Amino acid sequence: MRDIRTVWELTKAFTRRYFRDKVALFFTFLFPLIFLLVFGTIFGRNDTPRFDVVIINSAQTQFSNQFVDGLKEGDIFKLQENVTFDQAKEKLGRSEIDGIIELPSGFGEIDQSGVPNGVVITYYDEGDEQLAATFQAVLQSTLDGINSQFVQTEAPFTLETRTLQTANLTRFDYTLAGLIGFSILSLGIFSMSEGFTGDKKAGSLRRMQVAPIRPWQIISATALNRIFVGLISVALMFVTALVFFKFNMRGDYLSFITFVIISTACLFGFGMAIAGWAKDANQAAPLSNLVSFPMMFLSGVFFPVFLMPLWLQKVTQFIPLTPVVEGLRRILTEGQTIFDLGPQLLVIGIWTVVIYVIAFKTFRWE
Amino acid sequence: MSDTILSVQNLKKRYGNKTVVKGVSFEVKKGEVFGILGPNGAGKTTTLEMIEALRPIDGGVVTLDGIDVKTQPHKVKQVIGVQLQSSSFFDKLTLRELLRMFGSMYHQRVHPDTLLKDVNLHDKAKAYVDTLSGGQKQRFSVASALVNKPKVLFLDEPTTGLDPQARRNLWELVQSIREKGITVVLTSHYMEEAQLLCDRVAIMDNGKIIALDTPEHLIKALLKRGFKKSRKVEQADLEDVFIDLTGKDLRE
Repeated sequence: MRDIRTVWELTKAFTRRYFRDKVALFFTFLFPLIFLLVFGTIFGRNDTPRFDVVIINSAQTQFSNQFVDGLKEGDIFKLQENVTFDQAKEKLGRSEIDGIIELPSGFGEIDQSGVPNGVVITYYDEGDEQLAATFQAVLQSTLDGINSQFVQTEAPFTLETRTLQTANLTRFDYTLAGLIGFSILSLGIFSMSEGFTGDKKAGSLRRMQVAPIRPWQIISATALNRIFVGLISVALMFVTALVFFKFNMRGDYLSFITFVIISTACLFGFGMAIAGWAKDANQAAPLSNLVSFPMMFLSGVFFPVFLMPLWLQKVTQFIPLTPVVEGLRRILTEGQTIFDLGPQLLVIGIWTVVIYVIAFKTFRWE
Repeated sequence: MSDTILSVQNLKKRYGNKTVVKGVSFEVKKGEVFGILGPNGAGKTTTLEMIEALRPIDGGVVTLDGIDVKTQPHKVKQVIGVQLQSSSFFDKLTLRELLRMFGSMYHQRVHPDTLLKDVNLHDKAKAYVDTLSGGQKQRFSVASALVNKPKVLFLDEPTTGLDPQARRNLWELVQSIREKGITVVLTSHYMEEAQLLCDRVAIMDNGKIIALDTPEHLIKALLKRGFKKSRKVEQADLEDVFIDLTGKDLRE
């Protein structure tokens, strides 16, 4: 019991030190915020791509006019009208526009069955296959939307954009969970490989060894310190997301906070094991990189896991950062609670036990 | 026997196949200042660190205040104070905060300001260690070794690197600690320091103790063997000149 009181006193001392360290403060609090602002601005504002398009309405039927109006109402196309085909071709050549939509004469005329029909022709630049494919897909889905909704009510041709949005995730939602995971990782691992080994090299850890104190007390106090710091850092990022990017929090805060604490404790274990074992920063830094870079790139922080080959996806599930990011995403964007995250917590739990056993066994004072 | 507080018997330390401490034995009496002297590499620090439970004991028995160091290292640490040869303290914590932190490790509520006053650093309570001078640092190091009110205080080369004024100041500090009844074990390679401070000294070379007695007895024994100093002893030396010219006031 008295030993635990010592841990608490050490935690306070470590935390006091941490908040007086300007470099540490920058990397812990400001750096993730800058990251968030940059990535948020890149990915955040426009969820759907916009196409600059010239529309040539040669039909001028009631249906074709409604179709054009429908396209205007949607936020996918930025339409330019009253342009001749030759002018449009020129614009396409200069990449001023992404494509041309032509509604040929006769488009939307009512046939024998009493239903309007027609063909939409699109033109795009030959060298720009990828853009064209997206463009086509968007237009196709627009038409599909119209076809499926085709009923003779007062507004039969309104544009339904739902078909475009895959799942519930916006790109910013995806980014936020990843960036929180990333900042927990860097707090847990990188702050340790510099700071802790520095104390070790200077001999201040050895000075502590003079007292009747055990490694577990140092490890616990440092862990508590980093969890506390981590919570503040995540809170800052979260508030920034709410204020600047109108982030829509779908989960509950208790689950979120609990999960952040568990995740920080787990990832800190890796930093602790490395810094506890290493004699100095020269040993700790490369080892930290070796551990954290694969985590960063394989855990879906920056690239979605589903883009990876199937065999790799299976492997990445067992990398500790994957369940952290996955869990954060589920809480933040899918509104799941901590109790829905059994598989993730299991992987995190196993890693936590393993890495802390290693940290205790390999701890060196000097 | 009851006045023996530290007993070291046949203490040994090996690094690989090199034996650096080769069966050292001595006893320290309660309340005395005991010096371990010797050239660099004689094994003084290693001997001290084994007694302080900082290094594993490879052979021999160390008993401190009735506690076996090898089997109960944590219990020993409770009753000793240690100043390491190259002490370093956390940056970005004030002296007061550091003393409180050290106290918490011994489960003791400390009065940092009293401790600082004892080592003449009370006006530095809010300073960081890296702003202290060499002498102040050493004095703070002694204060930090006193947080648990130790029975035995170990000082490893406490005056190395200090200027004559700071050295004298530290000598006075050691004497005041001794007056409080705390046993002091120190290492040094300054003979005049040992002669002034120590009740008894052990001279170590090559991992072994080659002489152990009071400074007076050791000198007498040497003279008895017919030793004569090659030069006439002056009534003063250069250090006396230095102190006379620059004064005893601390420069920090």
